[in-house]
Amino acid sequence: MSTETTAPATAGSAPEKTVITSWKAPIALGVFALLAVVLFVFTPRPADTSTFRLSTPSDVIQLPEIVLPTHATGIVMTVLLVALSAYSAWLVWQKRRVPLWLIVVFAVLFLIAFLAWAGAGASIPIYGLLIGTVSLSVPLIFGALGGVISERVGVVNIAIEGQLLAGAFASAVIASITGNPYVGLIGAAVAGVLVSFVLAAFAIKYFVDQIIVGVVLNVLVIGLTSFLFSQVLTENTELLNRPPRFEQIAIPILSEIPVIGPMLFRQSIIVYAMYVAVFLVWFGLFHTRWGLRLRAVGEHPQAADTVGIKVTTLRFWNVSLAGAIAGFGGAYFTLGSVGAFNKEMTAGMGFIALAAVIFGRWDPIRATLAALLFGFASNIQNVLGIIGSPVPSEFMLMVPYVVTIFAVAGLVGVSRPPAANGTPYIKS
Amino acid sequence: MIARRPLTAAALFAALALVGCAPAPDGAGDTDATDYCARMVTNSGGLEDRSFNQSSWEGLEIAAEEFDIDVDAIVSTNETDLAPNVEQAVATGCQLVLTVGWELAEATVAAAEANPGLHFAIVDEMVDADNVKPIVFDTAQAAYLAGYLAAGVSETGVVGTFGGDPQPPVTLFMDGFVDGVARYNAEHGTSVRVLGWNKETQNGLFTGDYENVTLGRTTTEGLLDQNADVILPVAGQVGEGAAAAILERGVGSLIWVDNDGYETLPAEYRPIILTSILKNTQDAVVEIVRSDLAGEFDASPFIGTLENGGVGIAPFHDRTPLVSAELQAELGALTAAIIAGEITVESPSSPG
Repeated sequence: MSTETTAPATAGSAPEKTVITSWKAPIALGVFALLAVVLFVFTPRPADTSTFRLSTPSDVIQLPEIVLPTHATGIVMTVLLVALSAYSAWLVWQKRRVPLWLIVVFAVLFLIAFLAWAGAGASIPIYGLLIGTVSLSVPLIFGALGGVISERVGVVNIAIEGQLLAGAFASAVIASITGNPYVGLIGAAVAGVLVSFVLAAFAIKYFVDQIIVGVVLNVLVIGLTSFLFSQVLTENTELLNRPPRFEQIAIPILSEIPVIGPMLFRQSIIVYAMYVAVFLVWFGLFHTRWGLRLRAVGEHPQAADTVGIKVTTLRFWNVSLAGAIAGFGGAYFTLGSVGAFNKEMTAGMGFIALAAVIFGRWDPIRATLAALLFGFASNIQNVLGIIGSPVPSEFMLMVPYVVTIFAVAGLVGVSRPPAANGTPYIKS
Repeated sequence: MIARRPLTAAALFAALALVGCAPAPDGAGDTDATDYCARMVTNSGGLEDRSFNQSSWEGLEIAAEEFDIDVDAIVSTNETDLAPNVEQAVATGCQLVLTVGWELAEATVAAAEANPGLHFAIVDEMVDADNVKPIVFDTAQAAYLAGYLAAGVSETGVVGTFGGDPQPPVTLFMDGFVDGVARYNAEHGTSVRVLGWNKETQNGLFTGDYENVTLGRTTTEGLLDQNADVILPVAGQVGEGAAAAILERGVGSLIWVDNDGYETLPAEYRPIILTSILKNTQDAVVEIVRSDLAGEFDASPFIGTLENGGVGIAPFHDRTPLVSAELQAELGALTAAIIAGEITVESPSSPG
């Protein structure tokens, strides 16, 4: 989430300082500022106050509810938004970069104003908004981590959707048979690896176009799981599709931190595993020999080969690892969420995860943030639907996708994939 | 739409399987049961959708047993399958073709016009053609009872609903539910609120798909955060997410739709199911096969109502202690009043 004029800051990727000034950011901010003027200043709402609730009923430390005067909040925020967009235009005019903090502050102010406007007369549970964001993002984040590893090593991973779905299916079946959700988790990772094996074999050994293999794998896994679901699972539901679910574990002390405690530390074990996975993938990629080799193979396989790195072997095992991570995330759909497996229950989340990889510029932390942004946008649509927002429901359903498109097109700008991504390495 | 992906191989298998079993009798309304056959075409939900495809197919299977006729289903997996599958069903030479879902309306009418001698029936959509019998359900009537019940058992004075898509068959439930709650408020002087649907503006809470159960769960958590204690999801399997959220929080009850959730959902959810809004597609399908066999087929729509048993609410099962005897009596009186026409449940989405 930064302007297109910032250079990739990650270690290893070639730093390229661009001097082109772009008006994209000021124009985008200007459009939103204009929207703010129209909505928050000139579209009156029936009620005068908007209430934000910060503490869940079960919190030890109860924060008071924040009550804001709706119209006054709208006006103040709009003035700030207009000022910020004017400042960004001035910066670009001065041939300077629009800093990231400015866009973040703009987004937060716009959000507060929008929530106050849409939630007039109602009380908005901020904690619910945040908890739901994490819940909806978990499979996206696992999928995106799998995508980052696979693409960093040079294999395009379109099959994230298939890996998630295979993981969801395998975890439900295995956890049902064994009665142990932890075994189900292992099964999910194995199922993800199996899908990845096919991708790796075709892409690395037989040099088949990676995008085509990925797409075909998605369709194959959907077909296979749907077939098994209707032919096998529905016949033997009690035996094969009644997995135990993971309970939520509240971490003592941490879970009582106001606002972020319930969001981050009252979750199931899969979510805690996710925190560890994000850290490990980030640390591994940028601070270990494994990560250096992996990135070298993804950027310049010939050079890596010359210094003695086995390119195809490294690619093969890391694509498999990517599958294991994505498959593990698939278990969230079943063991972490509702239990039973259902046909096509990943509902296109793998493709959103793929977008998060690109939006996050092949960086695990940024991809995680991108996934959280999507989760947040999905959940805000929920919360506004519940309090009865003035925005038509058909429009609200588009919000997560509109936000993603805006974020990818408007804020990321040029994103540079690993140089050898998608090209098979043929040793000459 | 990503959520509905093709399963072309399965469709192909289904198609291959059908090639062999196609007797080709001519003419329609043939009363000779041994020659009579019926074909069903599903929409993209498939046969095990725990919804109208499944119940229509169950109806057809019951009819097959009862009248000793040959039946089969052609499963559609995406939008581009629909018209070819209807043509496939017509090509089998069967006298009756049953299609399921509004997506199939166009293909069904086209096939009906091209084959005036055949009989067609379509579930859940009103169409206007001489040889197509629409099978629709006024679910708002049953949802009205469910809304009244929900308002009656709610302790917090807040109930909630959400849908899969803003489509008439979905919002019909939500309209009836809102009106039922309003009726309870009018009779008891209470002020139970409904979250997630505004009947006046026809605006509300939707998940946008019928697959993403996690979204159903977070949506329900949002409703529970606003103190709702009876939740009506009208979103197919996404409703299971609602059940999971209620079970996890330990507060609230669930109202299931289309079939009795007490029977069809995983057993762990049984204790939280207050009732279900039933749509009796099976019997309607059996009845249409019967009348076609007897040569009584007509194109007037079958509208399932409380009166003809096409819609209704399920028993309260484990939640019976929540429903007081007075409330049960009131629901009985309300049912009678709707059947007698003293109360009309109105909705912009009503069939007919």
